[in-house]
Amino acid sequence: MADVNRGNRPLSPHLMIYRPQWTSMSSIFVRITGIGLLLGSILVVWWLIAAATSESAFGFIDGLLRSWFGDLIMALATWALFYHMFGRLRHVIWDFGYMLDVDKSELFAKAMVLISFLLTAFVVIVL
Amino acid sequence: MVQLTLPKNSRMTTGKTWPRPEGANNLRKVQIYRWNPDDGQNPRLDTYFVDMDSCGPMVLDALIKIKNEIDPTLTFRRSCREGICGSCAMNIDGINTLACIYGMDEIKGDIKIYPLPHMPVVKDLIPDLTHFYAQHASIMPWLETKTNRPAKEWKQSIADRKKLDGLYECVMCASCSTSCPSYWWNGDRYLGPAALLHAYRWIIDSRDEATGERLDDLEDPFKLYRCHTIMNCAKTCPKGLNPAAAIAHIKKMMVERSV
Amino acid sequence: MAYLTDRKRAEGLGSAKSGTKHFWKMIGSSIALQVMIPLFVFTFGMGLGGTFEEVQAYFSKPLPVIIMAASLIVLISHFTAEAAEAVEDYMHGMAEKLTLLGLNALAYTLIAVGLFALARMAL
Repeated sequence: MADVNRGNRPLSPHLMIYRPQWTSMSSIFVRITGIGLLLGSILVVWWLIAAATSESAFGFIDGLLRSWFGDLIMALATWALFYHMFGRLRHVIWDFGYMLDVDKSELFAKAMVLISFLLTAFVVIVL
Repeated sequence: MVQLTLPKNSRMTTGKTWPRPEGANNLRKVQIYRWNPDDGQNPRLDTYFVDMDSCGPMVLDALIKIKNEIDPTLTFRRSCREGICGSCAMNIDGINTLACIYGMDEIKGDIKIYPLPHMPVVKDLIPDLTHFYAQHASIMPWLETKTNRPAKEWKQSIADRKKLDGLYECVMCASCSTSCPSYWWNGDRYLGPAALLHAYRWIIDSRDEATGERLDDLEDPFKLYRCHTIMNCAKTCPKGLNPAAAIAHIKKMMVERSV
Repeated sequence: MAYLTDRKRAEGLGSAKSGTKHFWKMIGSSIALQVMIPLFVFTFGMGLGGTFEEVQAYFSKPLPVIIMAASLIVLISHFTAEAAEAVEDYMHGMAEKLTLLGLNALAYTLIAVGLFALARMAL
């Protein structure tokens, strides 16, 4: 709101002094995982087009995805997928007018973190 | 691009440490944001020591004691000292609340006090709320009617009156709006939790006849839909109200009338 | 100093009278995620790890191809909408508009390339 500012008034501190909350942190991670997954989908599409093209093209990206670094990315992406899924589920519940009080939202946030980690562990072990 | 850090003129420096009161043995360290419009310097964080044995229990008591006994230049708004005027809203211990009803016993460690976040500072703990008030005015916070005025009064059933509970109690302290990251980044266009809670209060008032116009005015990607249900507003409201829920219900009504 | 009144500044350019459609669309795609994400994780997870021939054989079966194709469309559209919302929040002016256009171009490209790859292996 720079144009409302009369004189050389400073902007009061915000992000750097505001206490992180379960609700706000769980919310920003829904956004971070969403954007991260858009970038992650580039890898999936790359892998698919390589598989449809040639063995050498496939070998490169498949090797990358199955290296330890690729495993790490895949595990993170799996977590991000499940976390984002629950995050959006919470939005749907809110948008239909339920669970809008702080206590329930915080409980859901904690459950989201826990269950997304458990599901990721399950997927990593099974697949 | 949104600036996540403070602009150059707003960065805080370490300020003055004021002397400890003599003969006191129950001291509490209080750090307060200071900015003087007249000395041309950056804001600073001053340190005070308050004798808790001769101080009231609330944060506002400590502020008044500092102003009376240590530093008369400390500037802040206060009036009712009982949470009904909304003047003394500030950021205390990392959350926005009213200094007069926030007990110092709720704070672990040093007490840190800043003005309401992401606002132009007039002086010390006083933010410029001009735009916040103008946004409140823009939602038309009054009864709009088209039917001829009744002879006696606009009637409202007890059940309909109950729908205003949890909304009418808002004292416009701005704690919620200035706790909202969306309001920080887009406060020029996003109305913020306080104005939207008031908008909802009039939308669901059974006597109000401008429901459609009110919804029309709010249906906007920025005015309303910058709310991402981050919930800092509901978490911080010193009156225990829930602006996030009010906004969610407005969005629900929007869907109701268009899908 | 522009001598705008406070009220004029607060009203801005007025209401765009839009946003509800997008809001409703996000509810829909969020519900779709609840189905598509588990399906995608297991379908892609089972495909990943094979040799070149095994992967080609895997994607010549109808079910994995259909699930992958639907996932590409649903997931990439959703994540793009999510990223676009972030861009609207954090960027303004010309840079914002160009980034939004770029995001859409990225999404369409990814979906088109992915679908082509699947079609080529499936047919």
